[in-house]
Amino acid sequence: MTQPIVVIGGGPAGLEAARAIGDLGVPCVLVEARDRLGGNPDSASYSTITLDRRTAREALDTMIGAVTDHPYITVHLETEVVGRSGHAGTFQVSLQKTNHRNGSVGTAVDAAAIVIATGFDHFDPGRETQMYGYYEFDDVITLVDAERMFSEHRFVKPSTGEPPKRVCFIQCVGSRDRRIGNEYCSKVCCGVASKQAIEIKQLLPDAKVWIFYIDMRMYGHWEEKIYWPAQEQYKVQYVRGIVTEILRKGDSLLIRGEDTTLGRPMEIPMDVVVLSVGMVPSTGTRHIARALEIPQDKYGFIDTPNVPLDPVSTGVEGIYVAGAAAGPKDLEDSVGMANMAAMRAVALARRQSLVAAE
Amino acid sequence: MIPHESAVGRAFKRDPEQAPTEDVRERVLELEAQGEWIVHRVPDDVVLLDTKYGRKKKIPLRHTWHHKSCGQCGHIPGYSTSIFWLHRKLGLDYDDPRDQTSCTAWNYYASATSNSAAQAAVAVRNFAAAYQTGYYPIIHCGTSYGHYKEVREELLRHPELRKEVREIMAKLGKPLVMPEEIVHYSEWVYAIRNELAVRKVLDLSTITVTVHPACHYYKLVQEDAIYDPDIYGGQRTAVVTGVATALGAKVADYSTWFDCCGFGFRHILVQRDFSRSFAVQRKINVMREEANPDVTLTHDTGCVTTLDKSQFAAKAHEQFAGKPDVPVMSEAQFAALALGAHPYRVAQLHWHAADYRPLLEKMGIDWQARWAEFEADLERLRRGEVQYLTWDEVDAGPGPAPVLKPFETARGVAVVVAEEGRKA
Repeated sequence: MTQPIVVIGGGPAGLEAARAIGDLGVPCVLVEARDRLGGNPDSASYSTITLDRRTAREALDTMIGAVTDHPYITVHLETEVVGRSGHAGTFQVSLQKTNHRNGSVGTAVDAAAIVIATGFDHFDPGRETQMYGYYEFDDVITLVDAERMFSEHRFVKPSTGEPPKRVCFIQCVGSRDRRIGNEYCSKVCCGVASKQAIEIKQLLPDAKVWIFYIDMRMYGHWEEKIYWPAQEQYKVQYVRGIVTEILRKGDSLLIRGEDTTLGRPMEIPMDVVVLSVGMVPSTGTRHIARALEIPQDKYGFIDTPNVPLDPVSTGVEGIYVAGAAAGPKDLEDSVGMANMAAMRAVALARRQSLVAAE
Repeated sequence: MIPHESAVGRAFKRDPEQAPTEDVRERVLELEAQGEWIVHRVPDDVVLLDTKYGRKKKIPLRHTWHHKSCGQCGHIPGYSTSIFWLHRKLGLDYDDPRDQTSCTAWNYYASATSNSAAQAAVAVRNFAAAYQTGYYPIIHCGTSYGHYKEVREELLRHPELRKEVREIMAKLGKPLVMPEEIVHYSEWVYAIRNELAVRKVLDLSTITVTVHPACHYYKLVQEDAIYDPDIYGGQRTAVVTGVATALGAKVADYSTWFDCCGFGFRHILVQRDFSRSFAVQRKINVMREEANPDVTLTHDTGCVTTLDKSQFAAKAHEQFAGKPDVPVMSEAQFAALALGAHPYRVAQLHWHAADYRPLLEKMGIDWQARWAEFEADLERLRRGEVQYLTWDEVDAGPGPAPVLKPFETARGVAVVVAEEGRKA
């Protein structure tokens, strides 16, 4: 009989990897630390998915449904992986309930392979970017805060609850920033900010919306499906320039910076400023790297030494990674990696079962 | 704003797990285990404070070796005198060494005419000098503090540099020593802020303070600076602001708090007019317009001198248009005044350029009587009756005699107040 494959993390990448493994007829143990599946799109109340703007809840329900009712998949909620022994094909994975850590007895699962899908955390602007005042000004919010409002079909100035007249996005907060050590691009922020700018204009047609950027990175079809409609149809103003600080100005905010196209300083009053925060390794990703003794890259993401042609193999044979646990990924990347990791893991499990049968 | 209250319930939580940098202190201990150097351990009586990413930093309370600042001693001597006076007031023993050298950070930040080995050797010579006395180094100058932390990074990462510096130390007959923590004096003042509050003799509730956080304190090796969730939501370094609020003063915010004081190192050397203009236009004028402070407090030599003395230049060019000066001093001087220190014998405000006398009046200090006392001191010196002022005379100022009592540290250790101030 083929040994099970353990998938760690119940976000989009983990759900898709588990579904793929189950669909290939191999037993799968899906382990999730939270008390529900869905990952960041669920915990952070994402409203819609970039690119097609399908509701995140609907998409997640589909993915979760495919896993929870699957005959080959066993789901362990509120459970953490705390260690492993053995080698590729014959791992033993130690599990422990998250809410009974003290004194509880864990369990062990035999596994042919392991897929890590522990995702990312949103960059916390309080960690480094004091000049944006996220923890000082209620009307400075993040893409995540905005997404939560969109999921409630509203967009307001948090300090007053009133609709804002002037809104701007500041790109690359926590990404592409050598000063704070996050040199990488988080890939999705330009697209998500542009999508949200459109959603603001749809909710508040009279609002003025700006996006301040270093350069816009709209991959593939995001260019014609989000970027140009945002500009041409919704009149979102893209300004190439860096906002250096946000100040309080009466009941509003004042952004200061440089318009690098015009080559001059700018000061613009705003009602709401949205920080386009990028991705950092999740607490779960850091934890699992230690628990499974997996090499990490310099930022703390799971290292994938064989990219670009093999983006799912880690530094340990038989342990694969899918999604943003391996660095910034959009949903297309994540589910693509999930299927590739599932295929690699299933191939290993099948080889192992053939060896055992001999 | 202090403490920060958010209508939407946001609160920043520091997480050492998310720190983007390694904890170099662990590496310092590893190198000791490998026989690379001696680690000078922080003495037993410590306060544990949170740093930028939520790691803990040990701040020694007593038995400290004071690495003084060239600029403080030369331009604003009341700065270091106030630090020593506070130690004496709390009965915490210290060493004021006479074999300390300059840190060479002028070289490092302004002209870069030296080399890594020479600069590192100067730093570790001072560390070794402290180690040999048994007293723990605490650094008065923000620039020395920042420079030494960068030296620590260089020594950690370059074995060939360690070798070179070890050989230089051998010629000097000193071991290669690295302190367990590199500590700035303002961290010590912050650590004892509640003890200062207990001992203060002046009501500061009507005093409005602005704070200039020193760039070389919190922008260099920034993960080592002290933060507190109660101070601006944990988004700005807590050290000076926390002391001012503990003493009961009102801290007022202003928009250019993040900007340099204007000193800039290269600028003060080769574009001094720029330094003066920046200090006045980007800092002092903005503070005055947005916060109207009675005083601005900071915690570095260059910041006090630049913010203070640039006002003299502005007045000479009639740029203040009748507006009052903004007195500038260190939080150590401010705290000493609050505890009853003499404004001239201890805080030595007569070295400062901006007019501090309205502030003293508002604090309830009779500066005219204190000046008369100081003039009498000078007359005794002039007559040759005394060579210098003694600590006994300094303590006989307007405040009460020192209240020396044990107090609890973060580890629950009672400090036994015994020997008097400076090491014999």
